[in-house]
Amino acid sequence: MSKGGQSRTRLLLVILIVTSLFLVTLDLRGVKLLDSLKQGMQNVVSPFQRTANSALSPVKGFFSDISLLGRSGSQIEKLEKENAALKLELLERQDADVQIDQLKNILDLAGTAGYKIVNAKVISQGSYQSFAQTVTIGSGSNAGIAQNMTVLSEYGIAGIVKEVYPNSALIQLASDPAFRIGVRIVNSQQIGFLTGRGERSAVLQLLDNSTDINEGDILMSRGSIANRPFVPGVPVGYITTVDNSAGTIAQSATVRYYTDFSKLSVLAVVVGGPSTNPGDALVPQKPRPIPTPTVTVFVTPTPTPSN
Amino acid sequence: MSTRLIGISSLVFLAIYIIQESIIAQFRLPGGGFSILIIFALSWAIMSEREIAAVMGFSAGILMDLSQNTSGPFGQWTLIMLLASYAISYLGYGDDNFFGGALGVVFSIVLGNLLIEMLFLISAPLLGVSIGSFTQIFSTLFGTSVWTLFLTPIVLPIFAKLYKTVFQAGSLT
Repeated sequence: MSKGGQSRTRLLLVILIVTSLFLVTLDLRGVKLLDSLKQGMQNVVSPFQRTANSALSPVKGFFSDISLLGRSGSQIEKLEKENAALKLELLERQDADVQIDQLKNILDLAGTAGYKIVNAKVISQGSYQSFAQTVTIGSGSNAGIAQNMTVLSEYGIAGIVKEVYPNSALIQLASDPAFRIGVRIVNSQQIGFLTGRGERSAVLQLLDNSTDINEGDILMSRGSIANRPFVPGVPVGYITTVDNSAGTIAQSATVRYYTDFSKLSVLAVVVGGPSTNPGDALVPQKPRPIPTPTVTVFVTPTPTPSN
Repeated sequence: MSTRLIGISSLVFLAIYIIQESIIAQFRLPGGGFSILIIFALSWAIMSEREIAAVMGFSAGILMDLSQNTSGPFGQWTLIMLLASYAISYLGYGDDNFFGGALGVVFSIVLGNLLIEMLFLISAPLLGVSIGSFTQIFSTLFGTSVWTLFLTPIVLPIFAKLYKTVFQAGSLT
């Protein structure tokens, strides 16, 4: 490359770096110059996401099955094609059944507490690059969804509405490292706050160091002013390990969320909070052991016929 | 780089971005998955001159910043992609390039992907972005590297052909 060419490349690089830093500075100073562009882009992408979600919904777990096909022979091929079509149909049915189950549980949860909800399908998972935990749902401001509303799964808290577009919304999952929620422990009424860690477990920090916390203690959301971002009384998770290290200022513990963030297909956004605090009405029931049936077989011995 | 070439390249980048956001984002893959846009931007950057690679990295970064899933401030990905694309082009362009053969290109893309994630992790605390626990970060870095290593040899010939088509068509006009 010539000397002139080199200096031109350097100049271009410097201009682009300065532009990037300028954009970062503008964003950090709260100048939302490119927010409308971001919203426009989401409006463009959202129909593609919706279409891809409908098209790929039964195929998501189908790759392992489809890889088994491919043996020769027309009869086998024909049967396999039929089999694959039936499997696809079955998967579609199973997918619908799972969504119906999740929806039913969400409605039960919201109905018990008196939350007014809007249900929505998950149309896209978040990307990994930013180490953020997000999903996109297929309903937005047109359905009454607004920023900072609580989002429920069938088991409890799923996250909050981070961004809203006319026909979609971005949900920050409770597992996101930037997620914070005020919680109380069901039995002791001890309060603290929970921080996401990018996985299904989270870190609980209590505000008072004097109370004992135990493994298995259940956490519920405390609620916010005007029920935003959090409505009160939503099951959050349970304590799995208590950190008893000496010299800590605040007592901390590891919490496992009730919600399995890898299996979200239907979510509910709480658009209207309860008129009264539901208290512990939504505390999950402890699983009851199912009795194992004992089968007794009576055998009557018969004499072996002798020749 | 002519205006027409920039226009065609931008459309290709936009198409890859839509594939990433609408199709690949449907799957919650183990280990965090992969970004087809990063693989694409890096593979085109290797094939390009430094200044073209810088513009490509800048464009890819802008698109990534426009994604609603991005958690950092606008411009963070633009800066990271710009630096990574320029660096990979600096090492990979010309006859005396750093990466010899297709295998070298594949490994350079995997390393480039890792470099991008590392740059994000380094810049994230400075810009107030939460990044999660150590185990989560480690598993994501490992997972994405494995996915990129697995996927790059499959998509690289397609991306190379696309590059050739776009830039040959552009140079003829």
